[in-house]
Amino acid sequence: MLILAFALCAASGYLLIAAALPREKTSSADSLMRLSLAPGFGLGIFSAVFFLMRLFGATHFIAVDLSVLVLLALTFWLRGSRRAQACTPALENADISATAWVRRVLGASFVVAILALLYNAVVRILAHPHGDGWDAFAIWNLHARFLFLGGANWRDGFNAIIPWSHPDYPLLLPAAIAHIWSYLGHDDPLVPAIIGLIFTISTVGLLVSALMLLRGLNSAMLGGLALSSTPFFVEQGTSQYADVPLSFFILASLVVLHKAYGHADNREPPKSGPLMLSGLAAAFAAWTKNEGLLFFSALIVAQIWILKRGPRHQSSTPRSGRNWTSLVFLLLGAIPVLAVIAWFKHSVATPGDLFSSWAIMLDKILTPARYGIIVQWLAKEFLRFGSWWLIPGTIALLAFWVFTFRKLPPERSHVFQIAVFTLALTFAGYFAVYLVTPRDLYWHLRFSLNRLFLQFWPSAIFLFFLRSSPQTSPATEPE
Amino acid sequence: MHAAPDQRAVAKLKIGILLFIFCSLLSTGRMVVATPWPGHIHPDDIAQRSDQRFAELKPHLPAKGIVGYLGEPGDSAIPDYYLTQYTLAPLVVDFSPSHAIVVGNFPSSPPTQRPQNLQLLKDFGNGVMLFASKDAP
Repeated sequence: MLILAFALCAASGYLLIAAALPREKTSSADSLMRLSLAPGFGLGIFSAVFFLMRLFGATHFIAVDLSVLVLLALTFWLRGSRRAQACTPALENADISATAWVRRVLGASFVVAILALLYNAVVRILAHPHGDGWDAFAIWNLHARFLFLGGANWRDGFNAIIPWSHPDYPLLLPAAIAHIWSYLGHDDPLVPAIIGLIFTISTVGLLVSALMLLRGLNSAMLGGLALSSTPFFVEQGTSQYADVPLSFFILASLVVLHKAYGHADNREPPKSGPLMLSGLAAAFAAWTKNEGLLFFSALIVAQIWILKRGPRHQSSTPRSGRNWTSLVFLLLGAIPVLAVIAWFKHSVATPGDLFSSWAIMLDKILTPARYGIIVQWLAKEFLRFGSWWLIPGTIALLAFWVFTFRKLPPERSHVFQIAVFTLALTFAGYFAVYLVTPRDLYWHLRFSLNRLFLQFWPSAIFLFFLRSSPQTSPATEPE
Repeated sequence: MHAAPDQRAVAKLKIGILLFIFCSLLSTGRMVVATPWPGHIHPDDIAQRSDQRFAELKPHLPAKGIVGYLGEPGDSAIPDYYLTQYTLAPLVVDFSPSHAIVVGNFPSSPPTQRPQNLQLLKDFGNGVMLFASKDAP
């Protein structure tokens, strides 16, 4: 039953992706991207479906799942015939060039890093079958138990009596876990562990395939190396926390948005299917953690901002102007999940604990020392993030940039600007939350800042290797 | 004319890539070294042990609703309580003994004092107890 549940889940995700993303002909990177996106989106679908079934008191899980699968298959079939000739242009920028032996070293290192990640992840799961850290069973798996074991009384678990369990946290992970437990008939701890592993591997797969599609193999291997060499990413991915799943959906949203817009020189309007999928990924991010709500809002604001002003240096192209339909498609993809979130927040969740009265928050905003503390911690975290050994990953990336720096023409890519602005806005939101937090500021920073960095890390690597390190003409390369 | 700057750029790019690979492999290597061999894994089964400790108690509790909680003081008080809540879900466990039914959790030592209004219904061993409030209707 475990295999059946995960197979149905992945099939649902795959059909959704196949229906929405135009296929790149004969591209292994495209296939890898679909395979990487499918399980995460499948778990998102499973989660929303389970929550709705709990809401309406439905109990025939397999029948409902099969119906959803048939519906997605029909959508795929209907859209598939229209997309037969569709083929998006490949590269955003030419790939980072490397001489043959450097490429061989890079390839071998990439393989080693991926194998090390897999080994470390599997061993960690065996060593911590119930997750590593309190949040796994005090929040995420506890919510899953309430959803699964609570039956008609599942709402009892989202109760102000147990505020430490954060009954306001969204339910993508708990509901997906509970859905698969429903197939098994019991709350097997293996399920959250497998889901953690799936999100960890999918995030790496998505990053590598996206860079392979949009830049090339060398950039993809460098990006994959950066992520899989981050011990904190593997540690959190297998801890049964929600930060790596959130990082997956943030990355998915930005990657698929790039697929929607295609090449910077592409003068066609953005594609509706990928736009909707990007909106859905952002909504799934919001259904994973409250920080995802901030990301979703930032994505919409960034989209509006770019649409209003047009991307820099591209004001004369037809795509720069007022293509508001892209925003509409983005929202259309998100609406079903946003409706679920709205209902949950309105009718089930208790009020969040991050905000206090206006007077208190204003007092904190007007306290300069708090800004200093936050900036200091941000700087410290920048230098130690990821638990890299000796040289932090952030510094390694900076060094790479310094060595490969070459003055580039001004950024023309509409979508790249949206992505960067979205992450910057989300980050500003995190800063604002720290500023007004009712908790002890040091405590809050100490126990959350590294995980906030982690939520951005795969997307930051993606955008870094998408844009930095200009190609060097192969004709000039000494072998 | 431009061969020299291009060659310099290629060399710098090569150094940049190799340096980045070196930094990454340092981290990867340490990650592997720090990972225990599969034969030497000692699973952290704290949640499973908690499930086992409370297994006998569960049939004596209501299927739904809220129960009270009485536990040991000290550093482990909160983690013990979280584990109890996780184990007894979908029951809601309030961190207070002011309820008709109260779960007692004393993993390391039996209670020296307990509130006057609580009557011990059953001691399940392993530090797990069930109390009833004398004040309850």
